[in-house]
Amino acid sequence: MTHQSTATSLSYREALHKAMHDAMAGNPNALLFGQGINDHKGIFGTTTGLADKFGKHRLIEVPLAEEGVTGNCIGAALNGAYPINVHIRSDFVLLAMNQIINLAAKYKYMFGGLFDVPMLVRLVIGRSWGQGAQHSQSLQSLFAHIPGLTVIMPASSGSIVDSYAHAVRKHRGPVISLEHRLMYDLKFEPEHEPVVLGATPFSQRKVSHGSDVTIVSTSIMSLEARRAGEWLASRGISCDIIDLHCVSHIDADVIMKSVARTGKLLVADTSWQPYGVSAEVCRIVAMRDPGVLKAPVVCMGMAAAPCPTAKALEDIYYPNLTTLTDAIATLVRGKKDNGIELPHERSMADVYKKFKGPF
Amino acid sequence: MNAVTSLPRDVALGLYRTLYLARRCEEVIVRIYPDDEMKTPMHMSMGQEAVSVGICKALAGNGDVIASYRSHATYLAHTEDHRSFFGELHGRTNGTADGKSGSMHLADIPKGMLGASGIVGAGIPVALGAAFANKQQSPGRVVAVFFGDGAVDEGAFWESLNIACAMGLPVMFVCEDNDLAVHTRVSDRRGYSSLPDVVRRYNCMVLEDESNDVEAIYRLGRYAIEQMMSQKTPAFLNIRTYRYLEHCGTAPDTDAPYRKAAEDAFWKGRDCVAMQRKRLLEGGVPESEIVKMERAIDADIEVSVAAANQAPHPGQDLLYRGVFHEAS
Repeated sequence: MTHQSTATSLSYREALHKAMHDAMAGNPNALLFGQGINDHKGIFGTTTGLADKFGKHRLIEVPLAEEGVTGNCIGAALNGAYPINVHIRSDFVLLAMNQIINLAAKYKYMFGGLFDVPMLVRLVIGRSWGQGAQHSQSLQSLFAHIPGLTVIMPASSGSIVDSYAHAVRKHRGPVISLEHRLMYDLKFEPEHEPVVLGATPFSQRKVSHGSDVTIVSTSIMSLEARRAGEWLASRGISCDIIDLHCVSHIDADVIMKSVARTGKLLVADTSWQPYGVSAEVCRIVAMRDPGVLKAPVVCMGMAAAPCPTAKALEDIYYPNLTTLTDAIATLVRGKKDNGIELPHERSMADVYKKFKGPF
Repeated sequence: MNAVTSLPRDVALGLYRTLYLARRCEEVIVRIYPDDEMKTPMHMSMGQEAVSVGICKALAGNGDVIASYRSHATYLAHTEDHRSFFGELHGRTNGTADGKSGSMHLADIPKGMLGASGIVGAGIPVALGAAFANKQQSPGRVVAVFFGDGAVDEGAFWESLNIACAMGLPVMFVCEDNDLAVHTRVSDRRGYSSLPDVVRRYNCMVLEDESNDVEAIYRLGRYAIEQMMSQKTPAFLNIRTYRYLEHCGTAPDTDAPYRKAAEDAFWKGRDCVAMQRKRLLEGGVPESEIVKMERAIDADIEVSVAAANQAPHPGQDLLYRGVFHEAS
């Protein structure tokens, strides 16, 4: 079952603001906790003005006390609230892992189904421009590993609007959402909203239809895959691109159906490859039907090191349009020297965020 | 507070020299940041330098330091190495970490600058172990750990305070109290009125300063170290100060809603650099001598900036170097 996601020409940032606004307006028991949510910057403009409209009793500025605040959200959820907790960098949530993994994820099962813990944790991945080792991490696999957590990585404005509304209105468990800072200023044209390949907004999405190679991607890598796909389309290679979106609950049929058709698979994730989304997608194919593969799987992600600050290193630390396009062409043609012209682009950040100064 | 110094002339001058160096380095950053050669977020120390300079000079070469992410003044006060500083901010191989650390993780192990963390409060527990090892291997050596008042809200601070007191570790907890966690005031995020009063209930020496005066802070640091050694307890120093620039970035944000004009005027009226300069002049140091020193520092900083711009960028060979288990 497929459906069209909400058509919106909002920027990613505007979609986040709308999602926060709608959560507050639609559910009188919704609460928003975070450090900086009520200051003049309002988490990159995603919470600005909400305290004026809904009150500081519902938009609660908190101390830097991540474990305490997360436990507080769990308790509020147990007693009927819908708490949303935002961390301006995903790296900061590491101080709250005990509450998220040992409590939130297990609270329903461990107590025999007595409790629901409906809550949303917003994390911002801060890639590029010298964010360095502690402000840039893409931690989806740590969470997706844990039964009980639902982990999403919205890659479009429509995806945010639909997924956050679903989390607030329908989903009764903890949702971890990893937003990508580089996308905040992007406008998403309605015709670019991918088709949702499933019954709920947490389902996978089809970015483009193709026959030569399956690309399974997450977050901003879905946008990069689209750009690479558009480049290659005019050069005789057609890409079937699946935006995973919900990395914790992957519909194996969606992936297998595509790979059975193309015979070739490339996984483009925002994070490290070992034990991550790349490994998980490979596990699915290996367990379901490795015979559909006509070539070894190719995975792309961050280099297996902490993130360096220097731009010279950052540019080779992450995949970019050139390396991604090259990898796809090489996989499809079966050789490196394949005559397909490559785009010249050293740094994704230069494309997505033409700015000077800090985030 | 502006009384003529009673410190030896060379100490008073040395304090000013380092204060000026830290201030001047950041003034240069403000000037050249728009050139976009330093692609790293900047958390500027400007306004708060007296805390780092007073304490690091009090350590007198027999102490280790761990800084907060607002580490410029602490790094420069402890090492005075602006060549490596500017190299690192430029992401070049002549930096402290081959350009891998940027502004937030400055370090110099031989000089006892044991690092700075971009995660608020994360350096505080590390200071415990550094002090534990010193206690066994280098008696008399203390560890000064710098953090903001925002870090005090973290559990890591309270766990560490308890451990240091329970174990009698030679840790000097230095709270650079500018009243702000990013933009949030202490009064909006604490359920108690006086942090020093709470810490006094621990087995810990508690000292306070509100002067922003480098000599007062230096004396406080010297006194704390003496007491720590004789009493075998840690020390907690709450030092009020004021951040001149935005939380992250190099612009003054005096018009931002969280700022208060009277507060801004109050603290800029007790600027730590100007205060110490005035004191030197009133103490009889000729202005020509001060100006000569300042111009020499200015010129030397320009040499550092030029050296950074000319230093090589790190290459592929450095990408994996330093991962504990390196890729083959």
